[in-house]
Amino acid sequence: MVVIVCLDDREGMMFNGRRQSRDRVLLADVAAMTRGVCLRAAPCSEKLLREHGLSPVIGEDFLSVAEEGDWCFLEDRGLSSYRDKLERLVIYRWNRHYPGDLFWDLEPGEAGLRLTQRTEFVGSSHETITKEIFEK
Amino acid sequence: MKWIRSRAWTVLVLLLTLCVLLSGCAQAPSGSDRDEPDGTSKQSETQLTVSGFASIEGIPDYSGKAYVVLNNNQPTFTKEEIKTTSYEFYSELDSLGRCGVTHACVGEDIMPTEDRESISSVKPSGWVNNKYDSDLVDGGYLYNRCHLIGFQLTGENANKQNLITGTRYLNIEGMLPFENMIADYVKETGNHVMFRVTPKYAGNNLLASGVQMEAWSVEDDGEGVCFNVFAYNVQPGIAINYATGENWLSGETPAETTDTQASTTGNETKDYILNTKTKKFHLPTCSSAAQTAETNKQSYTGTRQSLIDDGYAPCGTCKP
Repeated sequence: MVVIVCLDDREGMMFNGRRQSRDRVLLADVAAMTRGVCLRAAPCSEKLLREHGLSPVIGEDFLSVAEEGDWCFLEDRGLSSYRDKLERLVIYRWNRHYPGDLFWDLEPGEAGLRLTQRTEFVGSSHETITKEIFEK
Repeated sequence: MKWIRSRAWTVLVLLLTLCVLLSGCAQAPSGSDRDEPDGTSKQSETQLTVSGFASIEGIPDYSGKAYVVLNNNQPTFTKEEIKTTSYEFYSELDSLGRCGVTHACVGEDIMPTEDRESISSVKPSGWVNNKYDSDLVDGGYLYNRCHLIGFQLTGENANKQNLITGTRYLNIEGMLPFENMIADYVKETGNHVMFRVTPKYAGNNLLASGVQMEAWSVEDDGEGVCFNVFAYNVQPGIAINYATGENWLSGETPAETTDTQASTTGNETKDYILNTKTKKFHLPTCSSAAQTAETNKQSYTGTRQSLIDDGYAPCGTCKP
């Protein structure tokens, strides 16, 4: 499975059950990247993804049911227990600091992933968003 | 009087938690029956029970985290307080010159469209600034003029009713992350966020112990933004007298007359010429000032320290 996640400067993901940030340009990039593939997500991500033209398969168990080649948009939980299923990891970095009480829990190297691509782009409300792709 | 850190907080926090559970305060703030908060006076214990509001004594000692969650992260806006159109409110300073509660319904229409202007003309209560090793304090200077409602939200510049003396740590680690969260949400959705910031002073202290920040996204009933936190006005490694704002390295003896030091280190009001492009400041008689392009030149009357606080550096020729 391929996982997409957004992180702040402290590797934070959420605060009080709310996403730290969002960005229209980033979501357009996700839409372009996942066109034609099975995109899975948790119920909390459904509204955001649909608002930006994506058609995710929603399920609380989306990580456990994801098969090889499926993409998962991850916001509300850690990933370390699924590290063995990871084929690729896409990390978007906001390059800003937000409050956080849920933090990213996986060092890509621990899952046998290495950085293969790093690009930067201007978001709709973020000066610079960094996109990192890690692969086996 | 210094902010006294009592161990009694543990008992109060337990009571507060129990009250929250019993009264259902973790629900949407529209269900709250809290009175209008007074930013400069403490809430009674009865009010604390009803609203989940924490007075200074109810807040735990700083223990390495820039903020703590209050009331299970539920803000206490009443139905009447929640607006759907943008506005901003700043309390009058009290008799000690201290800021009070500020609140706003933040929308895109009141967000700034221009760069921030100088705010160095404002000297908030407790402003006794000192410079430390930048390894200890980011940027060197202990204090920032901290916007209660952040500039990126309502575009307020030198509004003395919106600026408190806050440590660099409070500004960057305690407040900015929450402002960022609100700003991004408003820009991305076009929705509004109710935001209230209440500086908390113990007794007649001139320096706030910290700020309470409450936020609630309006159009989606808090789905996007919802928090209630207290951010500490502390700086790790620095001891602070909250009665006056005086400060010194932790473990060292406090300086006797910081004000006297300040008067000889740049807190006298003088005339300067600024080069807004190079961010240098000059004496009016400086030859470099005369050569500065008019478009980059700006006259300024104020203190040397204020200019340094705003990112200006003294000219190497006239050494102002």
